[in-house]
Amino acid sequence: MSSTAKPLRKLDDLLDSRLMAKLDAIDVVSRKIFSGKVQGERRSKRRGQSIDFADFRPYVHGDDLRFVDWNIFGRLDRLFLKMFLEEEDLSLIIALDTSASMRVGNPDAFDYARKVAMALAYVGLVNQHRVSLVGFSQGQIERASNLRGRRKAADVASWLLRREPAGASGFEEAMRLVGTTRVGRGVMVVLSDFLFHEGFEKGLGMVAGRGFDVYALQVLAPQVVDPSREGGVSGDLLLVDSETQAETEITVTPELLRIYKERLDRLCGSLRAYCTRRDLVHLVVETSTPVETLMLEYLRRRGMLR
Amino acid sequence: MSAAPLPAVLAVTWVTPVAGAILGAAVLAPLLALWFLKLRRKRRVVSSTLLWTRSLADLRANAPFQRIRFNLLLLLQILAVLAIAFAVAQPEAEGLGSAGGRHVLMIDRSASMGAVETVDGNGKALDKPTARLELAKEAAKDRVRELLGGGWFSISASDVMVVAFGARAEIKAPFTDSVATLEAAIDSIRPTDEATRIAEAIELARAFTDSQNRGDTRGERVEVDTSSIPTIELYSDGRVSDIGALSLRNGEKIIYHRVGEAANNAAVVAISAERPPESPDKIQVFASVANPMPEPRSVTLQLAVDGTVRAITPKPVEIAAAKDEGAIFVPGRAQVTFRPIEQPSNASIEVSIVEDDALRADDAALAVVAPAKRLSVLLVGSGGFIVKTLVEGLPVERFSTMTVEEFDAAVAEGKALNFDVVVFDNAKAKKLPAGRYLAFGAAPPVEGLTAFGEHQGVYPRSVREEHPVFRSATLDELFVSKMTAVQADRSFQVLAESPEGPMIVALDRAELHVLYVAFDPLDSNWPFQRSFVNFTANAVGHLGRAGDAIATVGLRPGEPVALRLPTGSRDIEIAVPDGTRAKVAADAEGNIAWGPATVAGLYRIEFLVPGLDARQTRLVAVNIADAAESRIAPLAELSLGNTNVQGISVAASRRGALWPWVLALGLLVVVVEWWYYQRQVRV
Repeated sequence: MSSTAKPLRKLDDLLDSRLMAKLDAIDVVSRKIFSGKVQGERRSKRRGQSIDFADFRPYVHGDDLRFVDWNIFGRLDRLFLKMFLEEEDLSLIIALDTSASMRVGNPDAFDYARKVAMALAYVGLVNQHRVSLVGFSQGQIERASNLRGRRKAADVASWLLRREPAGASGFEEAMRLVGTTRVGRGVMVVLSDFLFHEGFEKGLGMVAGRGFDVYALQVLAPQVVDPSREGGVSGDLLLVDSETQAETEITVTPELLRIYKERLDRLCGSLRAYCTRRDLVHLVVETSTPVETLMLEYLRRRGMLR
Repeated sequence: MSAAPLPAVLAVTWVTPVAGAILGAAVLAPLLALWFLKLRRKRRVVSSTLLWTRSLADLRANAPFQRIRFNLLLLLQILAVLAIAFAVAQPEAEGLGSAGGRHVLMIDRSASMGAVETVDGNGKALDKPTARLELAKEAAKDRVRELLGGGWFSISASDVMVVAFGARAEIKAPFTDSVATLEAAIDSIRPTDEATRIAEAIELARAFTDSQNRGDTRGERVEVDTSSIPTIELYSDGRVSDIGALSLRNGEKIIYHRVGEAANNAAVVAISAERPPESPDKIQVFASVANPMPEPRSVTLQLAVDGTVRAITPKPVEIAAAKDEGAIFVPGRAQVTFRPIEQPSNASIEVSIVEDDALRADDAALAVVAPAKRLSVLLVGSGGFIVKTLVEGLPVERFSTMTVEEFDAAVAEGKALNFDVVVFDNAKAKKLPAGRYLAFGAAPPVEGLTAFGEHQGVYPRSVREEHPVFRSATLDELFVSKMTAVQADRSFQVLAESPEGPMIVALDRAELHVLYVAFDPLDSNWPFQRSFVNFTANAVGHLGRAGDAIATVGLRPGEPVALRLPTGSRDIEIAVPDGTRAKVAADAEGNIAWGPATVAGLYRIEFLVPGLDARQTRLVAVNIADAAESRIAPLAELSLGNTNVQGISVAASRRGALWPWVLALGLLVVVVEWWYYQRQVRV
């Protein structure tokens, strides 16, 4: 199930210019409005200095007199402060699973995940959001933080190209690190196959409800979805787990495949149920789906991009 | 004693168990060994084995070794191999096993085995009514095939002997393992109407076994190998008259294959026919019928003369129920007397039961009566008036007188006298040719009879009153004043004896029949007694019919037909009731012996007599007339001495080959196994 496609070497391999042009027109949307660090192009929940009125509140000492609504004072003889929605920047965190289990399938799940990460990062950079990239494996994370502006696309690309999958994911530990060392609040996209021996619940629990609008993007190679497909398993095999090196003897039979699919369905179903419960978004994407289709159709339909 | 009752329950017999075991062992071991082989699997790295379960379906193997694991395919393969091995072992239902060894099949061919069965032991109707003997033969042949069959896979070491028995036993086949020989021997067993006696058959079997157990030429008995003691397999309805007297020897085992179900029977067990003295042209027939059933019944009897029905009982004859009180069995009996029928010539008389029952052979009894005969009598004498007057008064056809001299002259010339009886009235001839003689007074010149003087004042001390000549003739008041003293050798029968010596003697020697009264009636008070008249008439009648075919009571099946024909008879043939004919030769005196007569019925002996052109005929009746044999209800259990042997119905012990079913099951398992395998490997 290992990849046979040619390796990704440059920015163009990750994101071609034609898609880049299409991505210029869209933006990342957070379903929640988060406070940014610097004044940005997004509304923030924080009352601020935009032109969008939000609310009134009684004046207290120390308030900026510039925001007192003098018309109301004239009519009621009381000081009220006008509150505006402040426009601020959005934090976009893209967490990329760099465990060995991603290096499978045709097309390769890791390469596909990198392409999606590149595309999302590009959208974030173009829209002046604060983009952070986090690679996680074996419970460790590697970051590329606080990138902003179109010019940083090359940095994102080179960071992505340097990543090589290895080891187990250590998802829970990695998510704990991400959750505790976050810079700002915003949208978080987790790109992974979610095939964790330890389970995904605790890991997702570390980031869900902590100021992140989490999108769990489950990237699965077609051969993982249906092992009987071309390039999948057949006959008598000794399966070796890419992460734990655990061995399992199998003889591929229709019965076994049926059990496999049942288990996969159960896994995806439980992930979806978990996400729904915790107000996360879950999306399964096969690596055979073009990145363009994913970006311009699926994610827009799910409300992540617009 | 190993004659433990065998349970008549469903059992499976293995015809070729060793072949099946060898096949099973030969295939199962490599099969299991193959399953120990491990599959060398291709390594394949997958993202995660999280979703994969270990699949144990090792369908191919190419490396040693692994722990054997449960697998449905393995189970199916073992099942298939076992089924095929079982099929090769040739299981058969309800058999009695075939443990090798020696078996003596004793097939009862007695009269009761001729009973016709319409249902088998399971109550199922037979295709057609079949005699018990045929059922027994089929069962015996099945048993032979069971013991020796098995075709290619058979390694049975059984030896089988076939003995047929009725009143007598006959070895049909000595110990052999040839199925064809044994089947032919069984097929050659013919039904008989004999009684059932097994002792001779058992002795034969034992003698045969013992002779084979003699170790060397000196005839010393070696230690009897128990495996050579044969198992006796009795095919019978169990009605064996001498079974109770039989005891098994150490190591002997008996299996009783019970044949037959029918019990309905009635029999004519006795017949006699005689001509009433007052009307010799008529025949009076008496018959006795028996009912062996536990309930009373009525039968209609008919009387046929020479095959033509002449009388029938006007109303059914009621026969009482049989009484069975443990060891004593008394069949119900009824006597029937038919009205005298006119039949002056000789005839065969048959009394038969009209109603149908299971055993037809005992429903008829035959008797042969001689023609009514009027005698010609010659009186040779001294002119005494008493005897002459008396003989003259007898109802004879021809009566002549002659002096002794004339008689001697005629004998010397060799002239045929052509008288049935010659009466000597105190006259002494020089020589007696073959003939029938009644002599009073002077002793006739017969070898073995010596006269040596006189006795005075003699009276009879003992008289054989049962002899026909003393019918209505008692000598109680006889007194003889003067009697010839004679000594008779053992060829003479003394009919009346005085303290001094024989008074009346009889001789039946070949063609010479002499009745000698050792005194002149005139020297006694006999002429004044009625017994003298009766005696003389009886004696003339008895002598006159001596040697004639008046065998009203016939032979029993199993007895030889032996009778005397006129000297010089030739070209003798016996027509047997079953339609066959046999040629017989007579000895110099005309005696023939043939047989035994195995079937009941009328035996017709035809022959040519010198001087007569037409073939002469003598009839001999053979009747079952055996109430024990007529009791046909099969015995459920045999009692041999102190051992009881439970019978196994031949229908129940009739084997059905199971191996085709087992083989079909095996093939089905193979098909299922293949389907399952295909389902496993096709992805």
